[in-house]
Amino acid sequence: MDILEYAWLIPVLPLLAFVFIAFLGKKLGDLNGYIAVGGVGAGMVLALWTAYELLTTGRIYSTSQTWVVLSNEYTLEMGVYLDNVAAMMLIVVSFIAFLVVVYSTAYIHDQGPRRHRYFTEICLFVGVMLGLVLANNFFQMFVFWELVGVCSYLLIGFWYERPAAARAAKKAFLVTRVGDVMFMIGLFILFTELRTFNYVDVWAALDTADPTMMAFAAFFLFGGAIGKSAQFPLHDWLPDAMEGPTTVSALIHAATMVNAGVYLVARSFPIIATSAEVALFVGAIGGITAFIAATMALCAPKIKGVLAYSTVSQLGYMILGLGAGAFLWHHGHHAAGSIAFGAGLFHLMNHAFFKGQLFLGAGAVIHYVHTEDLAKMGGLGKYMKVTMITMLISCISIAGIPPLSGFWSKDEVLAMTFEAGDAGLTFMVLWVLGVLTAFMTAFYMFRMWFMVFGGKPNEGTVHATEHGHHKHEAPIAMLIPLVILASLAFASGFSLFIGDGFFGAIYYGDAHVLTIGEKLEEVFTSPLTYISIVAAVAGILLAYFSFYKSKISAEKVVSKGFPKAMHQLLLDRYKFPQAYDKIGYVGVYGFSLLLDKFDRYVIDGIVNGIAAFLMAMGGVTRKLQNGFVQSYATLLVIGVSVIVILLYVVGVLR
Amino acid sequence: MEIPILSLMLLVSLVGAVVTFALGKNPKMAKISALVFSAIPMLLSLFMLTQYVQTAGGYQFRESFTWIDSLGISYILGVDGISVPMVFLSTLLVFLAVIFSWDVDHRTNQFMALLLVLELGVLGVFMALDYFLFYIFWEVVLIPMYFLISVWGGPRRSYSAIKFFIYTHIASLAMLLGIFALYFEAASFNGFYSFGMEDINSVSPLFGLTFQIVVFGALFFGFAVKMPTFPFHTWLPDAHVEAPTAGSVLLAGLLLKMGAYGIIRVALPALPDGAGEWQIVMVILAILSIVYGAIMCIAQKDLKKMVAYSSISHMGLVLLGFATFTEIGIAAGVFQMFAHGLITAVLFMMCGVIQHKAGTRNIPRLGGLAAKMPIAAVFMMIGFMASLGLPGMVGFVAEFSIMTATFDAFGWLLLIPVTSIAFTAAYYIWAMQRTLFGPLTKEVDTEHLHDVYWFEALPLAVLCGLIVLFGMFPAMVMDYIRPALGTVLGLLGGI
Amino acid sequence: MIPLEFVLIITSVLFVIGAAGVLLKKNAIQILMCIEIMLNAAIINLVAFSTYFGDGTGQGFALFAIGIAAAEVTIALAILLNLNKLRKTVDVDDINLLRW
Repeated sequence: MDILEYAWLIPVLPLLAFVFIAFLGKKLGDLNGYIAVGGVGAGMVLALWTAYELLTTGRIYSTSQTWVVLSNEYTLEMGVYLDNVAAMMLIVVSFIAFLVVVYSTAYIHDQGPRRHRYFTEICLFVGVMLGLVLANNFFQMFVFWELVGVCSYLLIGFWYERPAAARAAKKAFLVTRVGDVMFMIGLFILFTELRTFNYVDVWAALDTADPTMMAFAAFFLFGGAIGKSAQFPLHDWLPDAMEGPTTVSALIHAATMVNAGVYLVARSFPIIATSAEVALFVGAIGGITAFIAATMALCAPKIKGVLAYSTVSQLGYMILGLGAGAFLWHHGHHAAGSIAFGAGLFHLMNHAFFKGQLFLGAGAVIHYVHTEDLAKMGGLGKYMKVTMITMLISCISIAGIPPLSGFWSKDEVLAMTFEAGDAGLTFMVLWVLGVLTAFMTAFYMFRMWFMVFGGKPNEGTVHATEHGHHKHEAPIAMLIPLVILASLAFASGFSLFIGDGFFGAIYYGDAHVLTIGEKLEEVFTSPLTYISIVAAVAGILLAYFSFYKSKISAEKVVSKGFPKAMHQLLLDRYKFPQAYDKIGYVGVYGFSLLLDKFDRYVIDGIVNGIAAFLMAMGGVTRKLQNGFVQSYATLLVIGVSVIVILLYVVGVLR
Repeated sequence: MEIPILSLMLLVSLVGAVVTFALGKNPKMAKISALVFSAIPMLLSLFMLTQYVQTAGGYQFRESFTWIDSLGISYILGVDGISVPMVFLSTLLVFLAVIFSWDVDHRTNQFMALLLVLELGVLGVFMALDYFLFYIFWEVVLIPMYFLISVWGGPRRSYSAIKFFIYTHIASLAMLLGIFALYFEAASFNGFYSFGMEDINSVSPLFGLTFQIVVFGALFFGFAVKMPTFPFHTWLPDAHVEAPTAGSVLLAGLLLKMGAYGIIRVALPALPDGAGEWQIVMVILAILSIVYGAIMCIAQKDLKKMVAYSSISHMGLVLLGFATFTEIGIAAGVFQMFAHGLITAVLFMMCGVIQHKAGTRNIPRLGGLAAKMPIAAVFMMIGFMASLGLPGMVGFVAEFSIMTATFDAFGWLLLIPVTSIAFTAAYYIWAMQRTLFGPLTKEVDTEHLHDVYWFEALPLAVLCGLIVLFGMFPAMVMDYIRPALGTVLGLLGGI
Repeated sequence: MIPLEFVLIITSVLFVIGAAGVLLKKNAIQILMCIEIMLNAAIINLVAFSTYFGDGTGQGFALFAIGIAAAEVTIALAILLNLNKLRKTVDVDDINLLRW
């Protein structure tokens, strides 16, 4: 039995759970959670089995069905395309989704009737996200892309009575919509130039297509990724999206939906590689985003805020890697290009694990101390041992300390960026930014870790431990996912060493297979590696001395002068929210008010004006009816005479 | 024996109107009679859908009788791939509108009778294959709408009703002049006088270019006002705001489609060369309608007025699709007509629900209603999401394809209408946020706010179900539409 | 024979006099009398043409017209009597209710 033929069931199983819970789950309470676990779990089993088949055999499987025919040339199809990249995405998405749903059964436990809605929306999300991964053409990806966006909107605004949550959901939807518009334009270009949306057909047709138009197509498709993966300048919705439940943040805004943008870039990699400018643009956006987001994370006051900025930053790394890969490929360095492609996706996988773990851990912390404010936490290490250790593992991983997973992928991305720097100076600058970002990443992650688990207990911790009912850590359903994800955060780097290694599976063009020895040699003989390790360690140490040992006081540093202004700017997110509001409220809304006045007074004014004019004319002409018989008679006489004279003149009367 | 299904639908509507009107003393019976007499055409149209052969071109279920021979007027009815979805939509919407109006207690029999007369007119327009007959049914539609607005409408109903009537009537007169021009000119080629569409269309490519340009202009003016297209749109917001819910549903769902239908059935096939000269104008007006309509929605405080302007925007999309003169564009335009009919019905029904429950449609005064009306909130979200073109709902494929066709035909000009996608999302999401989400409003009596009643939920559920069904399986509709476009495209292809 | 033109000129003059009277007189009864003058002018015309062309139809028509004129005057005077009772005047300038 060929499991790949049943791959289409992978999204269907969670969707069946969605339908069931939506229509029948109203009174079922906790049972909804178990049904969700069942549906998502079944999807996961199938996904893992499919991925195993794909990775061990290296097959590419593609199947397609006509969805709707609009003309001879324009047939929209729905289908499945499976290769190693899809396999990797399947593993990441389905596994993390499963863990998050399991975690949710405990996390959402006290939300009452809202549980029904939560599990409905979560199952829908998992289903459509898996559908996105399996798509075999750009159009189908777009369809599921939009559906994923709607689920995100619904879940961010889960507690919709809170105005902040409603606003955050609206912002997320509208900002990603701007990206979606660009994605659509990219699709239109693909159709007009290539007459197809199918991945394989598009990739094959690139050689003979018009390069300028393909560059435009790549640019606009990337625009969609900018929106969905919260890259600069469309990044501002992600920090606000933290208004949703933490499980939502973990699933959607760390591990799956935001990866859709990176996945799109991966699938459009051949298109991007046709143009050096677009590849450069992609890399630049990635690098700039990574840097800016890291700076904002430095002083984020809330635990989820740190993680949100961190996500944006790490996504930047992934995009940087893919951009560098496209750039390298364009300039003929095919081996390096292939590795960079793999590196970006490798970081995606690792990031999903450790960021997912961090968010779920944050959820456990928030659950315990009932606050999100880092300043109110502290000293929790004593009470939440498992959470502390698992989050420590993830923090070390994200900081990029070997041999944990984050190191391998981040280092590879930076190495490839450096190599791309040989071909284009901008990438050198981006490499520098990348190293600085690595330093900052280590710093802010450990700042967070120390502020939560180390030091002396602040009011939140005190309150929870003395008055709270939590004498124990989080429930088992929450702890197990934490442990599993932490182990993966530790170990997923070692996929480099299984079989052909990660880069033997995920590559572009040709695989770059090295033995374990060669791989280790390559990594540890390069000075770049040590630069990034030093940066990471420096960051950790700085955080240690600032927040654990209190040798350096953060408050004193930012209390005056330039640091103070900088601090405020970072807290204000570089004034991006104000800028968005200006564009939105003053710009668009103001313009529409103007148009409204125009419509009512000018256009409708003309219509009413014509009516008024006609009525005025009527008012004048009716004065003829003055009631005097004699004037009527006069008109009669005059009229008849005129007619007779005219008839005589014309010749009808002789 | 061939059952004349089409005439039967018309007859049942007419008889139903008379019977319902006669049941003045007993509102309950009037409602039931209206329900029965609107259900019959709907079942007939479903039957017609199953019997219709999709791949055969030309008109099916054709009935042809000579009526006034000396003037060349005949009674010809027929449907093809373009009108079949429209007929189905008409019977469905009237049936659902009757159900939705179950709580109208003021002159119920007259209200219901007027709905049935409206059905008669709309069905006639979509089925007529003789220009004179077409015009009669076109005008028939105005009268019930006028009375619906001016008797059961809101505070400014007299102004709105008169404005609607006179504005669209003047446009119809321009159309009538165009029809007469076609009649006389065709007679000079054919040798006999006839109002039949097929007779005139068979010789119309021979008409002179100037003649075609002028007459197309007259016909286009008539249809553009009905659609409505910027800048002839100002009657629509007033009419919608003041009309009762069922009236708005049918006005937006059906009457607007008559305008678009006229373009694809009358104007384009009869005057292909003239249409070619007018293409630029059509494109510009379409783009203006789309963008202008979308931006206007953002400023609106009245929910119903916002939905009205969104109708202008979406019908602009239909015109844009037609104006591309490509198979994709025209097919998608017709699909969008059908999709918008379903979606706008949901939107206006939701406005009615909110009006009834909360007592106001003023958006700033609403808020947090989802907590009190969860089922209504779900319907509203489905309607709004469908209208902004979410995939999985019926509007998406149409909108996407129209945009594709526009880029194919006009290149980067697409960048202007494509911005409307963002604007549309903006106003819908903003409206949803202000009405459904956020804290529960204090400006409205929320103590006694209940969720939807059965007669409101049933039509909404049916429509939302169809929206999702056709959204997931658009081929179900497209397979009717596409084969019918052969003739039109052949004529236009010559441009 | 008197040339036809002479008779026609006389009747035209009579007609115009009558028409002028109808348009310019204030008293309704005077207007009626002028209408009679116009009628008579037309009747003389009829007789003149009848004599000139030797066709008796004209004279028969003229007799009809005289009879009908008499009936019409009766009714008109009756209306005026009623109007006088109602409005206390037969001045045409005061009877202008049927106006804008």
